[in-house]
Amino acid sequence: MRDTLARYTDVLFRLSTGSLVKPKIGQSIDDLRDRVCDAQSNAPVIDRRLRELPAGAQALVRLMGLSRCPVWKAGHLIALAAAAGHADGFAPVEELLGAGVAFPADEGDSKIADFAAWFGQAGTLAAPVFVHPAVLARARGLVAVPPAKPRGATVGTSDGLEWPLRIAAAWQRSRAAAVKTTLAKTLFKRDLARLQSDELLISPFAESALAVPDAGVLAFEWAVAAGLFRAGVNEFVAEPAIPDWSESPWPTLTHLFARFFAVETWDPRAGYAPSEGGLNPTPTAALAMLDQLARASAPRTAAELAGPLWEHHPSWPSALSRDDARDHGAAWVEAFLQAIAGPLRLVEAVAGEPRAYRLAEFGRHLLCGDPEPPPPPVYAQTLMVQPNAEMIVYRQGLTPRLIAELSRFAAWKRLGTACTLELTADETYRGLESGLTLAVMRQTLDRHAMRPLPANVADLLRRWADKRERVTVYPSATLVEFLSPADLDLALSRGTVAIKLTDRIGLTADGHDPDFRLLRLIGNREYDARPAKCVSIAPDGLTLTVDAGQADLLLEAEIGRLAEPLPLNGTAHRQFRLTPASLRAANSKGMNLESIDRWLGTRAGEPLSAAGRLFLTFDPAPRPQARTCRVVRLPSPEFADGLLQWPDTAELVRERLGPTAVVVDDDRLPELKAKLNGLGIELEEGL
Amino acid sequence: MQPRLVAKLHRRVCFVQTDDAVLAEELLARKKLAAEIVGRLSDRVLLVRPGRVDAVIDELLKMGHAPQVVGRAGS
Repeated sequence: MRDTLARYTDVLFRLSTGSLVKPKIGQSIDDLRDRVCDAQSNAPVIDRRLRELPAGAQALVRLMGLSRCPVWKAGHLIALAAAAGHADGFAPVEELLGAGVAFPADEGDSKIADFAAWFGQAGTLAAPVFVHPAVLARARGLVAVPPAKPRGATVGTSDGLEWPLRIAAAWQRSRAAAVKTTLAKTLFKRDLARLQSDELLISPFAESALAVPDAGVLAFEWAVAAGLFRAGVNEFVAEPAIPDWSESPWPTLTHLFARFFAVETWDPRAGYAPSEGGLNPTPTAALAMLDQLARASAPRTAAELAGPLWEHHPSWPSALSRDDARDHGAAWVEAFLQAIAGPLRLVEAVAGEPRAYRLAEFGRHLLCGDPEPPPPPVYAQTLMVQPNAEMIVYRQGLTPRLIAELSRFAAWKRLGTACTLELTADETYRGLESGLTLAVMRQTLDRHAMRPLPANVADLLRRWADKRERVTVYPSATLVEFLSPADLDLALSRGTVAIKLTDRIGLTADGHDPDFRLLRLIGNREYDARPAKCVSIAPDGLTLTVDAGQADLLLEAEIGRLAEPLPLNGTAHRQFRLTPASLRAANSKGMNLESIDRWLGTRAGEPLSAAGRLFLTFDPAPRPQARTCRVVRLPSPEFADGLLQWPDTAELVRERLGPTAVVVDDDRLPELKAKLNGLGIELEEGL
Repeated sequence: MQPRLVAKLHRRVCFVQTDDAVLAEELLARKKLAAEIVGRLSDRVLLVRPGRVDAVIDELLKMGHAPQVVGRAGS
């Protein structure tokens, strides 16, 4: 909030917050910002400001307070104000902003000189507006509500676990791979189809046999809104665990109630219904309807609740199907109450015809300020693990916390009055990856089991857990390379690193940076950086010297493939030597002359030396031979040509050495002599 | 005070460490996995091509292994 206030121009800041804090002489603008932030949780100050607000703004901030959702889009706020009978466009929202009760919540950093212009910059109807939770809490008391629940016998009550169960199952089933979204932020077709056809997520409710349209999609979207997934670039990635679900159902249901208003893609009758601009009327229509129930002194039928919505809500009537519009949306209201409000324990049906609804105790706690109902009794021993690794969990003993714990390491198979889960290698692995240990899993099962865990299942869990110890993947570790094995050993003994990877490379236990105070760094390389020139070749053509400061980790793995390390010579520069054996070994592993040239070109700036080529290209068969021969020097090249062309003498010549020299085997020299004598040429023999 | 050790840092390294060398060989024998390995630091440490660690984890899972992923949220 401080950052947002820093975006206000001085004039706007003083205008919008002047009624909250009175500036003192010499007080800096930073101090004033701090005081404005502090004032948000100052109940008397906030109460005064709320009472001074115009009626439309007052009604709007009260509805926001009922929702417990601190951020709303401006378009939703306009709809909410209209549904409350104040169809004044942006005026109520601007009044809240101008009174220092609400604040822009966009991620921009441009200066804000007036709120009308800011709406335009921040997406007009999509501009997000924030109200501090402490202000929301005070705003809930702006209107008096009937002091007691309307009379009537209740028909069927939910245990409040239907949605926590489905949301947990949706999280579990989407944690193996990220759920993709399109550029328009709607679900990717394949993920949407999976959520729409997942038999577990779309199964009818246990208590009412109600089939909710696209229940799987809603469970996923609700899980996203409730913080069970984090948003990436066009995808949602599951958090490692379900955070902060409580033993008592009320805190979890309160959180889910508040986060329902952030789900913008679902409709109780149509199911998955993303709208352009994300201004689906469901959140605002639902909140306005719940407000009617909070103010009602008698149970209300769906038709009675739909009437004011039909009359005042600006976008809800037009979003209804033709069939639903015939009864002014009563079927939509009935569907919402049965699918969401009833299972969340907000409302209950009252006996009689036509069916009417009133707020239940928990609904009155949220919407009328009644005390929180006592938590339901807890039956700790509620599950039974069978020898086939299936687990039956009875709903009476389930709590949101137990749902969250079991979801981390056991697969949901069936949701009913008795739920079924299965212990599998995959889910055990995911549980361990989420930070659980085998001991914690066992403890959870033992604490809630009606019978001891079967020995074969305990053994299975242990074996699955052990399997994880065999392969370790470090996605982004910092490796520490020392000059010598002795230095690494010293670092291990000092605790600078905990794991020895090679004779000179180690890392900390979690793969993060080591304590730099214990090291003198001579280099810092990024693994994914381009390979750099870091090798020099000695004049012998065979000795490679590594520049320790420039060398990267891949060099360590690569250079060993074609050269042998030389003993350390006391400097920071390590040396390797190309040997016939090392080059032949490289060749046998697929490194040909071309690839060696390429590698040396990148790392040393020059190709393989002539000596290296000799080692690599030398063909051992036929072997070099040493023999005694005679070199015969001839008077002219033409003489030599003739000698080699005449078949009688050509067969006696082993090889021509040059224009006027040929080689003749020692034992064949007399024959050549005789042939030349026959031509009248005498061969003179020298020593 | 102990003298500081001279060292060099290699950051953002992705690699796989196996329980034994035989297992590393088994992984390298898998064609899809071997394509993602750029080098071998030791007989048990395989360097993974930058940015391909998720593909390696997927392939390990397909092979029936249960790789422990160190240094990610939750682990």
